[in-house]
Amino acid sequence: MTLAPRSDPGHEQEAALIGRIQSGERELFYELIQPYERRVFVIAFTILRNEADAEDVAQDAFLKAFKYLAQFRSESRFSTWLIQVAINEARQRQRKGHPEIMRPITDQENEDGTYTPRDFTDWREIPSEALERKEIREKLVAALGSLAQKYREVFVLRDVEHMSIEDTAQALGISAGAVKTRLLRARLMLRDLLSPGLDGIWTPNSRIPKGTKPWS
Amino acid sequence: MVVTCEDVWREISNYVDGDVDPALKQALEEHLAKCPHCQSVRDGMCNVIELYGDKTMFSLPVGFYPRLHGRLADQVEARSMSRRAWLVSVGVTGALAASAVCAAALDRFVPRPLSEMSQPARRLPQRLVAIVDGGKMFHVPGCPFMHGTYHMVTAEEAVREGYAPCTRCMRDALRSAGKVTPDFEGEESASGATEEK
Repeated sequence: MTLAPRSDPGHEQEAALIGRIQSGERELFYELIQPYERRVFVIAFTILRNEADAEDVAQDAFLKAFKYLAQFRSESRFSTWLIQVAINEARQRQRKGHPEIMRPITDQENEDGTYTPRDFTDWREIPSEALERKEIREKLVAALGSLAQKYREVFVLRDVEHMSIEDTAQALGISAGAVKTRLLRARLMLRDLLSPGLDGIWTPNSRIPKGTKPWS
Repeated sequence: MVVTCEDVWREISNYVDGDVDPALKQALEEHLAKCPHCQSVRDGMCNVIELYGDKTMFSLPVGFYPRLHGRLADQVEARSMSRRAWLVSVGVTGALAASAVCAAALDRFVPRPLSEMSQPARRLPQRLVAIVDGGKMFHVPGCPFMHGTYHMVTAEEAVREGYAPCTRCMRDALRSAGKVTPDFEGEESASGATEEK
């Protein structure tokens, strides 16, 4: 089972919109990109880990998408193509003068190796602080930022942007199998990274009620 | 099927995504039921997904949309703007040319007043005026300076035929209609010039 992207308008509707833009109704471009504006920023931010650069790259990506819209082939999904453009823009920016100077601390394992999740059976004994939502969010962003890029990319497209495994694979140019492997690793690492700092959240009381979430 | 903790850790991501076959699912659940460590892995992973999946997780920078649309507008609306601008400029040029032609035509065709000493009317009353047969002026009917028989025409028609407004009655008529003397300013200097002659 794969999750259907939530914010995708119908494929045909989108193709019709693109056709109208290509035949001169250029202002409709705003309507076309509106559902993906946030997604493009988020993937750029995930890669660059800097808000200003991410915003700049997001703008560049939309401009490029507009410029090359004629080359878009409607067999693929517009959103996937747009994300590909954004990922390329962000990676280019990264190469140009914003290389990742620090090696991520969690990038020591190889993809095929097994990962042993830490055993946190004594978490509940760590004194818990009352965490504000903002503080949690900062911890989450920092934890995600500490992962290697290949994990960040997959995790954000799947678990933040709720893209399907197939779309994620296509956007990143990797196999569906690689998406699953990287996603598993990213999720396990994030769980380990966040658990001690988010004590209290991980208890069984905070379990998500079945039926309300896509994985249940 | 019996699964170990390692099997669970390898499959847990697919499991929470609902992406495992039924036999494996059952085996995983049997293991999970009695293994606290694997339970905490599963619960932790579900919470990771829950937390990061929240729409408010990543907030856009303040002013993101206006800046984005400002930058896109240059491109998206640029060429269509220039097409519009081209149309506008053609229109404006056309209008200017037309008005120039009209002005020239009007200049050429504005009749000279029948009376050389009169100034042509610059503003006209919206009413019928009286033209005395054989005269050169148009009047408000009943003007003490009209003599003889007259016929009524519109002020416009009178001007077209070269009649000039009577400085006395027409000035009063326009003033009482809320329009003041500027219409007749020229006449004052004209009459002054006449006197000097």
